[in-house]
Amino acid sequence: MRARLPDREGVVERDGVRVAYEVYGDGRPALLLVPASPITHARSWKMVVPTLALRFTVITTDGRGTGRSERAHAIEGYAPHAIVADLLAVLTAVEVDRAVLVAHCHAVPWILRTAIAHPDRVAGVVAIAPELELAPSHAHWAVGRRWSDDVAEPVGWARFNRSHWRNDGGYRAWIEFFFDQQLPEPHSTKLYEDMVGWATHDTDPESMILQEESSGTASTEAEAWCRNLGCPVLVVHGSDDPCQPLERGRRMAELTGGELVVVEGGGHLPHGRDPVTVLNHITRFANSLQGADMPSTTWTRSAARPKRALYLSSPIGLSHARRDVAIAKELKLQRPDLEIEWLAQDPVTTVLEAEGERIHPASRWLASESSHIVSETTGHDLHCFQALRRMDEILIANFMVFQEVVEEGNYDLVIGDEAWDVDYYWHENPELKRGQNVWLTDFVGFLPMPDGGEHEAYLTTDYNAEMIEHIDRYPWIRDRALFVGSAQDVVPDTFGADLPAIRNWTDEHFSYSGYITGFVPPAPDEVPAIRARLGYREDEQVVVVAVGGSGVGRALIDKVVAAHPMAKRAMPELRMIVVTGPRLDPESFAERDGLEVRGYVHRLYEHLSVCDLAVVQGGLTTTMELAAAKRPFLYFPLGHHFEQNFHVRHRLERYRAGTCMDFTTTDPDLIAARIIELAGKPVDYVDVETDGAARAAGLISELV
Amino acid sequence: MRAALPLAEGRVERDGVGIRYERYGEGSPAIVLLPTWSLLTSRHWKMQVGYLSRHFTVVSFDGRGNGRSGRPTDPAAYTDVEFAEDTLEVMEATGVEKAVLVSASAGALWALRLCAEHPDRVLGSVFIAPSVGLAPRPAERDVQRFDDVIEEPVGWQKYNDHHWRTDYPDFVSFFIGQIFAEAHSTKQIEDGVGWALETTGETVSATHVGLEGCDEAQVRGLAARVACPVLVLHGTDDALHRVDEGAALAECTGGSLVALHGCGHFPHARDPVRVNLLIKEFVDRVAS
Repeated sequence: MRARLPDREGVVERDGVRVAYEVYGDGRPALLLVPASPITHARSWKMVVPTLALRFTVITTDGRGTGRSERAHAIEGYAPHAIVADLLAVLTAVEVDRAVLVAHCHAVPWILRTAIAHPDRVAGVVAIAPELELAPSHAHWAVGRRWSDDVAEPVGWARFNRSHWRNDGGYRAWIEFFFDQQLPEPHSTKLYEDMVGWATHDTDPESMILQEESSGTASTEAEAWCRNLGCPVLVVHGSDDPCQPLERGRRMAELTGGELVVVEGGGHLPHGRDPVTVLNHITRFANSLQGADMPSTTWTRSAARPKRALYLSSPIGLSHARRDVAIAKELKLQRPDLEIEWLAQDPVTTVLEAEGERIHPASRWLASESSHIVSETTGHDLHCFQALRRMDEILIANFMVFQEVVEEGNYDLVIGDEAWDVDYYWHENPELKRGQNVWLTDFVGFLPMPDGGEHEAYLTTDYNAEMIEHIDRYPWIRDRALFVGSAQDVVPDTFGADLPAIRNWTDEHFSYSGYITGFVPPAPDEVPAIRARLGYREDEQVVVVAVGGSGVGRALIDKVVAAHPMAKRAMPELRMIVVTGPRLDPESFAERDGLEVRGYVHRLYEHLSVCDLAVVQGGLTTTMELAAAKRPFLYFPLGHHFEQNFHVRHRLERYRAGTCMDFTTTDPDLIAARIIELAGKPVDYVDVETDGAARAAGLISELV
Repeated sequence: MRAALPLAEGRVERDGVGIRYERYGEGSPAIVLLPTWSLLTSRHWKMQVGYLSRHFTVVSFDGRGNGRSGRPTDPAAYTDVEFAEDTLEVMEATGVEKAVLVSASAGALWALRLCAEHPDRVLGSVFIAPSVGLAPRPAERDVQRFDDVIEEPVGWQKYNDHHWRTDYPDFVSFFIGQIFAEAHSTKQIEDGVGWALETTGETVSATHVGLEGCDEAQVRGLAARVACPVLVLHGTDDALHRVDEGAALAECTGGSLVALHGCGHFPHARDPVRVNLLIKEFVDRVAS
């Protein structure tokens, strides 16, 4: 899912070619982001658009020949003057008189032409990795001389060849080679996939060939543009850019009197690979065009600051909210002088509001992670590793909100319960860290699903390796890492080829708090009274079927409901309570004798803690509540959900709790048989600890 | 030892009053650290000079009545116009055509006059805890009676002509203590007392009388003419001039206010890091 949707979108049509644009936000100044089309399009700005749109009007366009724009079918259709006219037409269509033009690579000449010819429309120029003939190109581009030749089976840079692109598979091979080269930074798999995807799905070799053959700028021309440019200029350039030598950016800054930001160690795509620093520079540059006035603010001297913590609780699953509230309560007991604010989103905010916790107003700027997860789910299947990877633009958008909050809030402490954005981007931009930082998680290590094959194993290994390198290189980013559980709960796997065993590494880098339920399960002698209060008779076998609140779960409910008649025949005392959650309509399930369907059940965990059997998904919170309450239960891990299939299952087996069921191979008959076999039967689970929140709070409060 | 030594020092003279100035650094643009009330010398900027002079040209001078500058006895020699003219003379002598002005407390009065009447010489102006009469003073100062003769004055009664002439060190000790509301300010207080004792109660009395013409109407008139960027810094715990006074000045000059929560009257001495960074940011914006 996107981090932010456009406020407006449309097309301009010129010479019979429709060019698509989108507009986000309404601040000043306006920024027009010009992609290096058609090899890429507006989505190449995805990591910067949501954040820029909070302050500025952001206009993106898919250039001709890609994305939602149409193709031109003649070389003139890609001529620079045609593109310049498109950009002006877009500005006119969105009623923006003057904008900062931001461009990448070979789009930079287009915005310079625009700025020279129409200085009244251009407030400033941001050039990322400019393709300007102000310095010699890299030697490997000498292959350009053979562009029109027939080259037999070219390899490497020689794939930059017209007939090769027209041959079967040649174009794709070139694109894969090219973007592999453009990302010298390790751990760039997601950006690489995106760039290759846009270049291979959203344009075609003929459009690319026409664009290639229409371009080309003499060095004297580029120099004249730079000397004659009348507006402020910012150049951003990676020192290791294999496409455009850094010297070109340096020269552009010199000739224009502009500012140069070198991303040392960066490749050709800094706006994708180092979005935080690129965002900060673009924001500063755009703000500087709005006049010299400083914002009116307050600064509080150190002695006058109360002790404050900012708490981030992952909205993916409900376990985080519940345990984090429990930890926060313990923290306040242990440190009454500590103020806690929450940067949180739905559904965590619902829990926090009910508890009277203080939610930071910037929370409303957060892009929805839970909606993204829902959008990634089909049937009883959620590939949560890929879902996390595809959440990249949401994570960067939310990190930038977080960073603003910590820079203004003078927090002593940041507590992030699986706050992936903070952990990742503080390690990527360690100079931005503020205060002491606590990382909490209930699993360590991305694990590949078997049917993902070698490629998925390669990806999870790469993500684990990046995390391990982050922590080795910057051990001071996580001041405390807490594993919510015990050492035995850590899976006995490795992080991947040539990487450490997860248990050993976790032992070295984490403290263990024990499990945190967020509630105390009823003692056996309390159960009858609670059952009576909830309306469950002693002579009933109460089976609760619950699928959480995410809208995922229709498939599981259907299967369990289908098992009901058989179970009911064998067990007349069966009373099945199906809890659909807020996103499924209870009316869409037929009720029958001994089967009740409810949309929402207040304090569901109480019902679960006194039932005779539960049927649930494989999420950690609910299964561990059942383990703590020592109830029999069947759990169905979501398909392709590595956390539910490996980490949660491993933990439950350690507690000897529950019966794991495979959704795809389980039919209603088997479910009925298991219900009949297990309902109301005694269990021998290991006790679940009840002091986890206090232990976690103790480990955190040592830092303040 | 000083953190930075001046690249140039000199003296200008107006109507027989010598003004000693210093110039540090060579960067652009220039900053003039204006004198404050002549109770203190230009050394009250000592926490700014080292840092700012690495980035900008910095000019400072002892205000007439203290330090190494002359000490006329006639109150008419201490009007805001005289301080403003001294500034222009020092800018001439140091070759500074245009500058960002940074003032503290009463220095706001000459900074305002320069902004309003010499806009071609001023790039922008930073006012720290301005003493400009745009808001009521803290209630503790209600007991102040400048011209009365008070035996054994206590608190703000010490802000008194007779007391200055008879027990100036006692006034200095009280007043410098009021400047630094923040705990743990012993060094700042020692410094302030030392600089104040470089002059006399009689001279300070003349400076006070000289500024009596600067009333609210005059200040508002000048402020309305300020066209350059303005930044006001003001402590919320300022015991001499409430933060409302800084807020009012920011409002009537169209400037920005950074409220310094928990700070007293001289944040540039007590919280120099934040003040230095704010000045730097302001100068960078003005210069770009």
